[in-house]
Amino acid sequence: MLLHVLVLAPFVAALLVALVGGRGTSAYRLSLFSAAVLTVASVALIAGGDATTTAIDWFKLPGSDASVKYLLGSYTINAWLVFLSCVLSLAALVFGKSATPEGEFKNFSVGILALLGTMNGAFLALDAVLFFFFFEAMVIPAALLMAAYGGKERKSAAMNFAIYTLVGSAPMAIALWYMVAKSGVTTAEGLFAFLQGQSIETQTVLAISFLIAFLVKTPIFPFHGWQAAAYAESPAPLSAILTGAMSKVGVYGILIWVLSLFSLNETFFTTMLWLGLATAVYGGLMAWRGTDVKKILAFSSMGHLGLAVAAIFTLSPKMFPAVLVLLVGHGLSAGSLFLLSGVAERMTGTRELSKMGGLVKSKPVFGFLFGAAGIIALAVPGTAGFIGEFLVMLSLWDVGPLPTLVGAICLVLSAAYMLRLIQGVIFGKANQCEENPVHLGVLEGSVIGAFLFLLLLFGLRPGIIYENRTPENPETSVPAAEVVPADSLAVDSLALVNESMNTTETTVQTTDSLAKDSVKANAEVTAND
Amino acid sequence: MTNLPLWLIPLFPLIGTVVLAAISLASTGSKKGASEGIVGGLAVLFPLLAFVSTVVIGWNMPTQGVQETLGTWIDIGSFKASFGFLFDSLSRIMLLFVTGIGTLITLYSTGYMHGDRGFARFFAYINLFLFSMIVLVLSDSLLLTFLGWEGVGLCSYLLIGFWNADVSNCKAANKAFIVNRVGDLGFILGMITLAMVSSDLLSYRELSAFLRDAANVELVNILLPIFAMAGLLFFIGCTGKSAQIPLLTWLPDAMAGPTPVSALIHAATMVTSGVYLLARLSDLYVLLPGVMTVVVLIGLLTAFWAAVAGLFQNDIKKVLAYSTISQLGYMFMAAGVAAFDVSIFHVFTHAFFKAALFLGAGAVIHALAGEQDMRKMGGMLKKTPVTACVMIFAFLAIIGFPGFAGFWSKDLILERLYVSGPMGPFLYMMALLTAVITAIYMGRLMVLTFFGKYRGGEESEKHIHEAPASMLIPMVILSLGSIFAGFLWAGLIPGANLFEQTLAPVVGQAQAAFGHASVHVSPWLFAVLGTIAAVVGMAVAWKLFANRRIPLPKGSSAPEGFGATWTFCFDKIHGIVISAFRVLAWVAENVVNRFVMMLQWLVGGLGELLGDFASGLQVAKVRLQMALSLVGVIALVLIVLVYGGLL
Amino acid sequence: MELQAVYVQILALILFVIGLLTAISRRNVFFVLMGVELALNAVNLSLIGFSKTLPGDLSVAGQIVPLFTIAVAAAEACVGLAMVILIFRNQESVDSDNYSGMKG
Repeated sequence: MLLHVLVLAPFVAALLVALVGGRGTSAYRLSLFSAAVLTVASVALIAGGDATTTAIDWFKLPGSDASVKYLLGSYTINAWLVFLSCVLSLAALVFGKSATPEGEFKNFSVGILALLGTMNGAFLALDAVLFFFFFEAMVIPAALLMAAYGGKERKSAAMNFAIYTLVGSAPMAIALWYMVAKSGVTTAEGLFAFLQGQSIETQTVLAISFLIAFLVKTPIFPFHGWQAAAYAESPAPLSAILTGAMSKVGVYGILIWVLSLFSLNETFFTTMLWLGLATAVYGGLMAWRGTDVKKILAFSSMGHLGLAVAAIFTLSPKMFPAVLVLLVGHGLSAGSLFLLSGVAERMTGTRELSKMGGLVKSKPVFGFLFGAAGIIALAVPGTAGFIGEFLVMLSLWDVGPLPTLVGAICLVLSAAYMLRLIQGVIFGKANQCEENPVHLGVLEGSVIGAFLFLLLLFGLRPGIIYENRTPENPETSVPAAEVVPADSLAVDSLALVNESMNTTETTVQTTDSLAKDSVKANAEVTAND
Repeated sequence: MTNLPLWLIPLFPLIGTVVLAAISLASTGSKKGASEGIVGGLAVLFPLLAFVSTVVIGWNMPTQGVQETLGTWIDIGSFKASFGFLFDSLSRIMLLFVTGIGTLITLYSTGYMHGDRGFARFFAYINLFLFSMIVLVLSDSLLLTFLGWEGVGLCSYLLIGFWNADVSNCKAANKAFIVNRVGDLGFILGMITLAMVSSDLLSYRELSAFLRDAANVELVNILLPIFAMAGLLFFIGCTGKSAQIPLLTWLPDAMAGPTPVSALIHAATMVTSGVYLLARLSDLYVLLPGVMTVVVLIGLLTAFWAAVAGLFQNDIKKVLAYSTISQLGYMFMAAGVAAFDVSIFHVFTHAFFKAALFLGAGAVIHALAGEQDMRKMGGMLKKTPVTACVMIFAFLAIIGFPGFAGFWSKDLILERLYVSGPMGPFLYMMALLTAVITAIYMGRLMVLTFFGKYRGGEESEKHIHEAPASMLIPMVILSLGSIFAGFLWAGLIPGANLFEQTLAPVVGQAQAAFGHASVHVSPWLFAVLGTIAAVVGMAVAWKLFANRRIPLPKGSSAPEGFGATWTFCFDKIHGIVISAFRVLAWVAENVVNRFVMMLQWLVGGLGELLGDFASGLQVAKVRLQMALSLVGVIALVLIVLVYGGLL
Repeated sequence: MELQAVYVQILALILFVIGLLTAISRRNVFFVLMGVELALNAVNLSLIGFSKTLPGDLSVAGQIVPLFTIAVAAAEACVGLAMVILIFRNQESVDSDNYSGMKG
């Protein structure tokens, strides 16, 4: 039930908001109310643990006897991502009131709610075609919002975004059609069973077709052409959703719809690992050189997500909690930075870093929040970002020291650009007149405050995120050590992935054990290296 | 006897942080800001409470220490970490002087920061710093220590850039943070290396137990390369935090912050955390003679280099900054020859006299309304006698004048260096030479500041005034400490080795394991040689600087926040590394990005071309199109009729 | 005399060709529209003609389809005329050769 609500209610809410008409306030209240209810629902989803709906036949796919099912399911990872999309949409609506022109808020909120519905659908779908439907559908409201409420270059940015992502998912559509036509099933489990019977080569081709769509969406170097402009030109609340929730669809897709479905060889994993690391370094360097506040944030997001993708392809057992915590932490911190940068843009009238400054003096509360958000984004210990990046480094170490070192360099780079950003925006001499009419609203400030609080909370108790809350094994009776993090579906199939890797004579180094006796065995392994 | 829970100690400054931050944010609306009395009182109260609870807990501490686990932090099956505190003799000493000196300096700051717009904010940062520092020394595992480790780095960043309207301060702060980040990477990678063996080893107790356990000898030998790597990586972390070669350039720039900050963070407490970490991991380091050699050589080079650099500074705070680096070098030398107790002892005495020196310098700067250039000082002895006395006592302590605190600790270091092994005499000679240079540059500082005639303008001379009581009381207490703290371990007096006994349960076994060569030498000889070094240095300084005309500075003498005037080549080396990354970034933007964009436009252009071609095929006549479609239908029908379908 | 089915088909063919030729050769859009309608109805006629060849019960289906088509064609004619009028308003011309707005 909760699953249906999370996917369908946003559309209903969007319709209702579109129908209320009248002044902006009723639309504002209604959209805010529905987003808040959805956020509560997503928290309930997390608390409730794994759940699936009964499959409903949707339509027959032409050219095959497969019937597409409306089938939703939640497990730890996607429940948290749904939480991210809900909470960021709520924040976007809060900030959208002042970020949109007078009287335009209604249409804006309709777009945001529709976008929320498509994102939730993509995260929760267990049917491949259903997933693809939502995956494609989310481009439309995003591009429309971008083209309607963005900056100066909004039209071309939106066009670029739409064409890039839609073209990027074309190979996925073909591969999906091929698989469905051949196997006659559309659910994840069915496709997985079908793919086990295929040769590695076929699987690799299909996986790459899938992967391109996700690499474009995330984005991963060299498929990032649309990203900087799109994030920079979008209205800030939309940028926050794009980076905080929508880009996660790409990472999520890689995790669930590529890694869990296909059995691939080691070359593939190594390539993707290095592609992820290259993205991380590239994003860091570009952010360091950036002059546009939102572009800096865009590249910083790219770098973080590159790190997440690199961690995924280590296939280390630590990877699931690592990626999950990193994604949740990044969603909240990058989201709040984008939202605040939008306010800063309105305060100073520019996005150029060199023309901003001194906001901590003229707007102390804003300055405090921006500084705190920036520092939290630096992955200081005690914040969710640190837990995520530390666990990612641990996962990278399972592959080798060199990837870890590259990951470590990214940490220094992130310090370099983030401090530059903080300094440029809030420190130094003020470049604008003191009597600035733009203020950070109370509600807006409290949203950011809540985000920062959550980041600290997750940093001190990351277990909240990665613990499994499935009802049949209540965690009260299970000692913490035995709680298997991450979802069963992905873990099971990942185990299969690992198995198939071992048959193709590859070894994944997993030198991590707790028992003292196995330390010895490990020691010999590492010493022999 | 029941004891207080350990988490009380960090809790107090944390409450202080939250309360003061709330006051700071709430008072932004008002014109005047919050009442300084209330804010100052709160700011001093919380560190004081932390100090009191440390004393109470420390008084009742059993010999083997207290360990408390608060809860799980990370638990992902193959990696576990928990929040836990360990209160043993090492953390007791560190905590006592961190909270004690922290309280004193907070009290001093209430005077120093009087009238500043960010009064409450400043004390919120200071409390946050104390919280982080307490967590750093009190934690029972490396991961939690790292929380404090980055936390103090963060507070250092915030406080260096406290006057953030000036971008150069921000740049100094950024530099401090980023250079520290580089060191922190060493820490993180070290932790990961240890966690590769087992995440349990991140706990200090488990690590020591594992390394000391006789049953594990064979295993430890197999793992030695891993441990050596971890040890080296942790040492990189220490060089960042404690400003050793090669990561030392940030500390002189860090003097851009308010002077109490320099005293607290960049002299007494934070920068010594590297030494603390080495002592904490003593069981690990004694197994790694190669790494220890690196430590001692880095310490030696740093001590010598920073002492020389100290000779050339004109900014009073920068002299002290280089002197701090140099003294930290001494501490690392001691740690490098496995004299961990001595290195901690020097940390302890250094905290007193260096804090006193900085606070004294702060009082001088305060008296001169922000003037930091020593060439514009002089004759302050008569104008600010109390400050001068404090500075003189601390000066005698730092150069190692017999009886003062620095004498005892430095003497012990020199002695341990001499007996450390074949390299001993060489190390000893270098350290002694450094001691002479120390006396020279410190003597120069004293002479230029307090003796001779005032060299500033007539106008500013009238405004010179002694500091208020809230500043003088902490200074006097610290100067008393720099006189008497040394007697806790006076090598020449039999039985006066309380300090050594205290630390023995923590580092004693490790030091015994390292095995000192049993060269027996008379401690009196070392004492005499050390005294001679101090006296010679003082004499040289007097001769060189007392009666010479000091050239007045040209142009502005405003404190330079960024870029020390004389930093030898390390800023250059850092500059090269940074430029390399800049080039990389330039390539990423202008070559790689351009190339990707070009490919993108190429594909897009190709698509457009195809579209143009296709639209060129369109005929603009509706009727013609209809006729053509008819032709098409006919053609299809014909094909079907003739061939029976295409397939 | 029973009407032979083939004559009906011939008539339908003639009507269809006339309709098609009108649609192609006339430039006035109204005539084009009328031609299209004529062709459509020729097809209807053809359907009815074929339905006659079937036995009684089955022929019903063949008669229903044209009825259905007529209903649809009526709707289509409405929309078509409306469009033509709109185009006429925009272009001030009923000459179909002037309508080249769809070209690239």
